[in-house]
Parts: sequence; C-alpha cells; structure tokens
Amino acid sequence: MCGEEGGEEPLHGASRTERTPVSAAAPAPCLPAEPRLWRELGAAKVEVGAPEGTMAVSVRSWLANEAGKHFVLMLWLAANTWLFLDTYLLYSTGQQYHYLYQMLGLGLCISRASASVLNLNCSLVLLPMCRSLLTFIRGSHTMSTRRMRRLLDKSKSFHVTCGVAICIFSAVHVSAHLMNVVNFSASFSEDFPDLNLARYKGEVRHKHKVTKEKKNQGFFCFRFSSVPGLSGVLLVLILLLMFISSSHCIRVCNYEIFWYTHNLFIIFYIILMVHMVGGALKYQTNTEAHPPGCLSSQLAVLVLCLCAQTWLWVSGPLCLYCVERLFRYIRSSHPVTIVTVIRHPCDVVELRMLKKNFRARPGQYILLNCPGVSSFENHPFTLTACPTENKETFGIHLRIVGDWTEHFAHLLLPQPRAALEILPVVHQRRYPTLYVDGPFGSPSEEVFNYDVSLCIAGGIGVTPFACVLDALIERWKSFRLQRLYFVWVCRELQSFYWFAELLCALHEKLWKENRPDYLNVKLYVTQKDCQQPVESFSHG
Amino acid sequence: MGKIEWAMWANEQALAAGLILLTGGIVGVAGQFRGWEFASYAIAAGFFVCMLEYPRSKRAKGTSVERTGQYCFTVCVKAFGPVTRNYYVRAFLHAALCVPGGFMLATVLGCVCLGIASLIYLAAAVRGEHWEPILPRKDTRKPVAESIKSPPQNPPPRPPPEIRRKQAKDVEGAAYDNPIAVTDE
Repeated sequence: MCGEEGGEEPLHGASRTERTPVSAAAPAPCLPAEPRLWRELGAAKVEVGAPEGTMAVSVRSWLANEAGKHFVLMLWLAANTWLFLDTYLLYSTGQQYHYLYQMLGLGLCISRASASVLNLNCSLVLLPMCRSLLTFIRGSHTMSTRRMRRLLDKSKSFHVTCGVAICIFSAVHVSAHLMNVVNFSASFSEDFPDLNLARYKGEVRHKHKVTKEKKNQGFFCFRFSSVPGLSGVLLVLILLLMFISSSHCIRVCNYEIFWYTHNLFIIFYIILMVHMVGGALKYQTNTEAHPPGCLSSQLAVLVLCLCAQTWLWVSGPLCLYCVERLFRYIRSSHPVTIVTVIRHPCDVVELRMLKKNFRARPGQYILLNCPGVSSFENHPFTLTACPTENKETFGIHLRIVGDWTEHFAHLLLPQPRAALEILPVVHQRRYPTLYVDGPFGSPSEEVFNYDVSLCIAGGIGVTPFACVLDALIERWKSFRLQRLYFVWVCRELQSFYWFAELLCALHEKLWKENRPDYLNVKLYVTQKDCQQPVESFSHG
Repeated sequence: MGKIEWAMWANEQALAAGLILLTGGIVGVAGQFRGWEFASYAIAAGFFVCMLEYPRSKRAKGTSVERTGQYCFTVCVKAFGPVTRNYYVRAFLHAALCVPGGFMLATVLGCVCLGIASLIYLAAAVRGEHWEPILPRKDTRKPVAESIKSPPQNPPPRPPPEIRRKQAKDVEGAAYDNPIAVTDE
C-alpha cells in the first residue's frame, strides 16, 4: 500500500445523489495491466504481441460488454419505425379512412402514426423505473445472466431515450394536428357533413369575408372547446415542464426541482387517458356496402369516432408501476432502529441501523426518508455494511454536503453543550424516526462475478467497495473473485480514516491465510498543499 | 427546499420558452394564419428572450457551468447593469412580453411557458437572488519574494534532543480510534 500525491482534479463521487460513484470493474477478457497476471488467466488464451490476437480479444470483449445494449437500442428503433410506417400505411391506404384522407391528406397519417409511437414510448418509459422489479431480476439466478445484468445497468439511459422520443414525437404530433385543423377548414366537405370538424369553409384563414359573428367564434375557441384540444395543450405543457427541469445542470444543482416536476407524470397519464375521448377523427364503418368512390355515397355513410387506444398500451405498465410503488411503500412503512452513530473526519457520519427481515447484497443502495428533516425527500445512500448471519445491523456512511444531510447530521449527533450542567444526567439519546426503502441493485454488485476486478473510487464514492471489502473479510473464499485491485483517490489524507481499520484488517487476514496477492490497494491524495506528513498505515 | 436556486430553473425555462415562441412565430407567419401579425411579434420577442437568457448566471454556491460561447452574451447583458441584474425587472419584462403571444394558437404555448418562467423569476427575486456574470478567472500570482534567489545560509532550527526522541517513539499517538472494531471473527 502506498500514498502518493497526484496533481489532478479531485474526483467527487458523492453518494447523496443518484449518480453512480466513479468506478469501473474490468471483466476478465480485457488486457490486464501486469504481465505476470497473464499467465494466471488460463481460460482466456491471450497471444502476446500478435495484432490479430489483440483485435480478436477486443472484438470478443466488445461483444460481451457493449453489444447487448446496442442490440436493444436497435430493437427499440426498429419497433418504433415499424409502428410508425404501419400506422401511416393504414391511414393512407385503408378503405375506412378514404374520405377522411381525401380531406386531410398527409397530416392525418403523420398525426396518427406519431400517436401510436407515442403510445409505445409512454408505456415503455415506465418500465425502467420499477426499481424493485429490476433488483429482483438482477438478484435471481434463474432469470439473470451477465448480459441481462449489464442491460439492467443501462435502465436509466433507456428511460431517458424513451423520454426524448416522447418529446420529439409530441412535437411531430402537434404540428400534424395543426395541419389537420387547417385542412379541416380548407376542405370543408358538404358531401359528408359528419366528417367535418370545422364549422364552415375557410374558418382558419380569412381568405374571404365572414360575418362578424362567425369571426368571433374563432379558430381559437373551437380548438379549446373540445376535450382532445384542451387535454392536448395541457399534456404538452406538462411535458415541457418535465423536460426542461430534467436538464443535467438542474439535476445536479437543484435535484428537488427535477424531482417535484417529474412527479407531474401522474397528471400527465391521467390526462393522456382522456385525451382521445370525443375524438375529432372519424372513420367509415360500412365500407362493404359503400366502398370508397361509389357514387351513391351521399345516402348512408356511417361514421363513428375513433376509439381510444392509449389505454390499451399504457394501462399495463402503469398498473405494474403502481403495484411496485405500493410494495415499496408497504416495505418501508416500519421505521428502522438506529443503533450507533459515529462521526468520522472530513464531514462523514456513519450510521448503523437495524430492521427486521432486511436482506441486502454488497453494492446495493437504500433510500432514506427522515420526516424530521423533510417529509417528501428520499436520499439514496450505498450500504457500507450488509447484514450477515453474525451481525444483523447494516450501515451507511454519509457525507455532509447540502442542507438535507446537514440537518440530518444535526439531529443525529450530540451537539457540544456550552452551558454547564450541574448534575451529570444520563441522556436517553432520542434519534429521529427514519424510514428505509430498498435495497436496490446497482452495477457494483458485479465485482464478485469476475476473476479479476479493478475498483476505482473517488472520495465518498468508495462506499460500494467498502461493502465489498466488508463481505470479503467474512468469506473471501466463497466468491469467484481471485484478485482485487483497489484504487482510492481522496482530496485529503484524513479521508482514508473512514475505512482504515477495514483495509488493515482485510490485509492482515489475507496475509495470515497466505493470499497476500489477493488485494492490491493504491491510495492517492489530490490536495496540493499537503502539510501533514504521509504516515503509513501500520498493520502490526 | 431551503437552498434551491430558483433563478437557474427560471433561466432554463425562459430560454426554452423563447425558442418555442420563435418556432411558433415562424410557423404562424409561414402559414399566414389569421393574426399572423402576432406571430411576427412572437419571432422578435422570442429572439430577444433567447439573447437575454442565454448567458447563465454565476451560482451563489458551487461551480457554475457556462453555456458554449456565452462570453459575448455575458458582456452584452452585463453592460445594462442593474436592469438585467435584477430579477424583478426580468419577471415583469417576461410577463409583459408573453401577453401578445396568447392571441394566436401557434404562439400560445410559448406564451404560457414564458409566463411560467416569469413566475419563477418572481420567486427568485423574492428570495433575493440576482444575476452575476460568469467572467473568466484571472489567476493572480503572488509576486516572487526576493529571498527565493538566495538559498538559506543556516539549517532550520531543531527541537531539543529529548523532544526529538519522543517524536520517534510516539507514532501511534496520531492513530484514530474507531469505537466499533472491525474484526475478521
């Protein structure tokens, strides 16, 4: 173990936000850093020096690591394209839409096609947010392979992709419907009065003189008097609010704004369900009796409104999401017992808790809710100690950055009292009520599934690896892992005291059991003016 | 919700509203809808709002990330001094600008978004925030002292021998005592 000074920018891996800590676990097929390790990788026969060999390894490595998510992206793009084209062709060539298509033209097809793409994406966007379900899939041995778990790591990116698609296709849908409104008025049909949406020809553009009374009931009013019109405008407004506050800088600086506006999705879905009621686009139902183009068409062309399809698409994932939220709410309804609170240097507080039937794997995280600080905020923290057979407590390390953690630490830690106390009173320490939701899976759980793992952490981002080291102390022999490279970069030297005991104990244990090469630790300090002398961590 | 910087959200919202107003105006003028004069106004208003809102303000606490190429906009906006610094002015300006957009369907969305941005700016102004330009930092180097040119003549003072002996022995004095012991049992 060595401590060196580096001159780079400190890596802030803060566990208090949704960002994953700075980490990388290198899978076995990639080229290891040290030549002597190559002999140990008996399974992967690496040819030294031959360029084709290196190329084959990197192609295999790409296929194993990256191909899955690109494949899923291609599949999603294909599904969207197929749906768009299929609906477009249905409306442009379908018999029952013939007269409507004559009236509206391209706008009809594009608006309906983008609507079906929107239906698909509005249903898919909810699925990556069912976190308990994803944690269950990740943990179950029957359902998850390494490829599936790597795909699950990208669930948030998939959610963002679907969200962006919703925004783009909403813009397309709105523009197409605006074109429809224009065309409804321009091609006002006297032959089929039921198909019309406009009240008279030329309602939208004042190409010819209209009476004053008709002018006042303008274009504007008819747009808003219908349910689809009003709900459409509200939907776009909510979508815009959600989209604008999800930008990266707002998420990083003011997470609460993002969180509270994003919760408007509930209203979004409710309005989406009623959007198609009282639909403006109608189709012909008696195409057998009166096929398109037949001359006695004035007589009996029956028309009906388009039935709303959105609920078919959206209700499944919405129910799943609601069940998941209910499950999480029930699971977190019992407050946890706080066993110990320890203050560490550099503004870190360690919290040990106890909860009945709490099972967690190393690398998972929990969401804390403290009503004494804020009723609605849930903050994620990675577990640094999981419950085992020997000890039932689980712990987190939280760094005090920002108002929630400051207030929380203030409630937890005894404040230094300046006032004199005449009698020494035994304080019954009253900890605040705390609710824990979780645990949820994260990519850090994969450390044990490889022969060699490289873990790089910055600052408080070390917490998932601290849990890994904690698990290794108990049962390092039971994992597939043969070697762990651990790189930890901190701003100050004092930060290493957070897990100094853990590192020393693990190191000593491995030495005693004759596996000194199992763990390789490299510690770095980035602060420029390092006044304290670099002290070695003694292990004797 | 104590330390939210509302101005940052208002800035994003206003920039987006400006873009939407601009787009709606272009659509309205191109389609020659009824009330296209409002659309042409919306183009001008949208453009102005984008120019005003493009430079991000410096955050009160933390690192500020500026938008690409915002320096020239920062200089222009800074030139107006207290008018652009104050968020009350911006709130009322946006509220006034958004009203004519509400008379035409193509620009109504931009109008509502700008109205929301104006409300958030009002909230920011009530909380006492103001706009600060992000200017490039000039690293002032301390002037080099004369003594750097000549090396020291005498060795540094050393503590007396008894204290030196104690420092060599007392390494564990600096160790940190963790009350919960981590053991491998």
